[in-house]
Amino acid sequence: MRGRSKNSARFLLKISADTKSTTRVYSRRMFGRILTIAGNAFREAVRDRVLYNLVLFVLLLTGVAVFIGELSGGQERKIIVDLGLSATLLFGAFIAIFVGVGLVYKEIERRTLYAILSKPVGRGEFLLGKYLGLSLTLLVNVTVMGVGVSLALVYVQRGWDPLIRGVWPAVFLIFIELMILTAVALLFSSFSSPALSALLTFSVFIIGHFSTDLKGLANSMGSAPARWFFAGLYYLLPNFSNYSVITSTAHGISPAGRSIFAAVAYAIVYVAALLAATTLIFSRRNLK
Amino acid sequence: MRRDLVLVLVIVAGLSAAGLIAQWSDNHKPQVNGQFAEEELYLGGRTAKHASLAFNGLAADWYWMRSLQYVGRKIINFEDNSDSQVQLDMLSVLDLRLLPSLLRMSTTLDPQFMAPYEYGAVILPTFNDQEAVALLNSGIAQNPDAWRLYQHLGYIYWKRRDYAKAAETYAAGARLPGAPAWMGAMSARMKADGGSLIAAREMYARLYEASNDEDVHKMIAKQLMRVDSLTERDLIRRILSDYHARTGRCASSWRDLAPLLGTTRLRFDPTSGEPLDPSGVAYRLIKDGCDVDLDASSQVPHR
Repeated sequence: MRGRSKNSARFLLKISADTKSTTRVYSRRMFGRILTIAGNAFREAVRDRVLYNLVLFVLLLTGVAVFIGELSGGQERKIIVDLGLSATLLFGAFIAIFVGVGLVYKEIERRTLYAILSKPVGRGEFLLGKYLGLSLTLLVNVTVMGVGVSLALVYVQRGWDPLIRGVWPAVFLIFIELMILTAVALLFSSFSSPALSALLTFSVFIIGHFSTDLKGLANSMGSAPARWFFAGLYYLLPNFSNYSVITSTAHGISPAGRSIFAAVAYAIVYVAALLAATTLIFSRRNLK
Repeated sequence: MRRDLVLVLVIVAGLSAAGLIAQWSDNHKPQVNGQFAEEELYLGGRTAKHASLAFNGLAADWYWMRSLQYVGRKIINFEDNSDSQVQLDMLSVLDLRLLPSLLRMSTTLDPQFMAPYEYGAVILPTFNDQEAVALLNSGIAQNPDAWRLYQHLGYIYWKRRDYAKAAETYAAGARLPGAPAWMGAMSARMKADGGSLIAAREMYARLYEASNDEDVHKMIAKQLMRVDSLTERDLIRRILSDYHARTGRCASSWRDLAPLLGTTRLRFDPTSGEPLDPSGVAYRLIKDGCDVDLDASSQVPHR
């Protein structure tokens, strides 16, 4: 009796160890597959000349750095930061929207998705890989733009400018905002056409910047259902106002570490929810 | 190869023709009616702030540069059509009716943007001091720790000759953290002799330090020259009066006054020995040598 129980315990331990090692191997392979898809998505974006926008950005900033002194009445540093970071957000938003909505659609259109999904690649892995690939593209984009803004400030100040220190937290928050926007674009593109997805994502980008007004509107509503509706919208739609630090950065005011942490935490949970919803919709989609 | 050459020729010819047509159109374009140039802004500041999403700082910069262009264009037009140069005290002739709205828009879009408040404080009192006070008060409400705004508001009250209010404003600014000691001293000066030339000189000197705009710098520099010249002319008048008291007649030339003038800090022309005004032009004796005035060629504002 005792011997039998010992054997069954040993058997259970072996099964548990086997399961653990299988799970570990599976996870490692899953991450490998996601990273491969991400790498390909990044390479595809580079091949599609997405990063060419950097040339336009550099030209814009160089022009501003050289000529703005004539027009700005001694405010060229502020204008360089405002313009540079606004362009970073705007160019990034266009990339996130227009490349983001085509991530899945292009693969279906070219029928390359079937080849990918015929291999042991889950639809969720495919989506996550695509998402990370575009995020990497955006990271490269905003980093180069951040360097551009910093160099323009160095040129105007003829040396180190304390504003540069504030530029990088702002660039980081812009990147986080773009990650959320990419996830929104991916969600819409999982069930809609690229044109409609772009329109919807752009609307979310705009409404996301109005989110504080949405909350104010909810509070000012007389009827309870209307109040709940607008409050629901406020919590459902992404809150981009926490990522808008361009104006304060131009005045040399950096966001507090606490608010950066909260913005990152918000982005992590929000993106996780969006990607889960995208996977849910995409996994039920009939691709025939 | 030949096809490429033809295409290049078409491009060059097309662009050249387009350039020529644009030039012809510019030359034959009817003058834009002044009323369109002065049209009020379509959007209110709050609406524009909402519409600009996260780009409100950039929109504020745009309106700020538009303000500078607006004033600059008016100055150029005035100087092109008149013999005199624009002085700070005669900006009302420029009809800058759109400037308050432009500055308001810029500061509503970015309430921490100090340059429009400072520019408004210098320019607006010359033709609309109510707007100037309102702009600075809104700036103080948004930036209660900015002592510079108190300095500029104090300047506006000083220009209105409301020395008590100016003293009060400087005193309030002096209490803020980081405010320099001279803010307190300025408050005392406003209270004691706000209308004096010494107070005026200090006022313009502090404003000159605070200003970043080149046009404003030039205008304040001229005001400083004017105040210095008024002080110098007061001194010369005293010497003329002394001379008259001693000799019973007015001076026939500067040479008569040389011993008395030599004891002062005035600058002199090394060849003729005539006293020079702050712009480096010799003063001239008027009323048969009983009074002094600026020369017509002087760069010092005459009023």
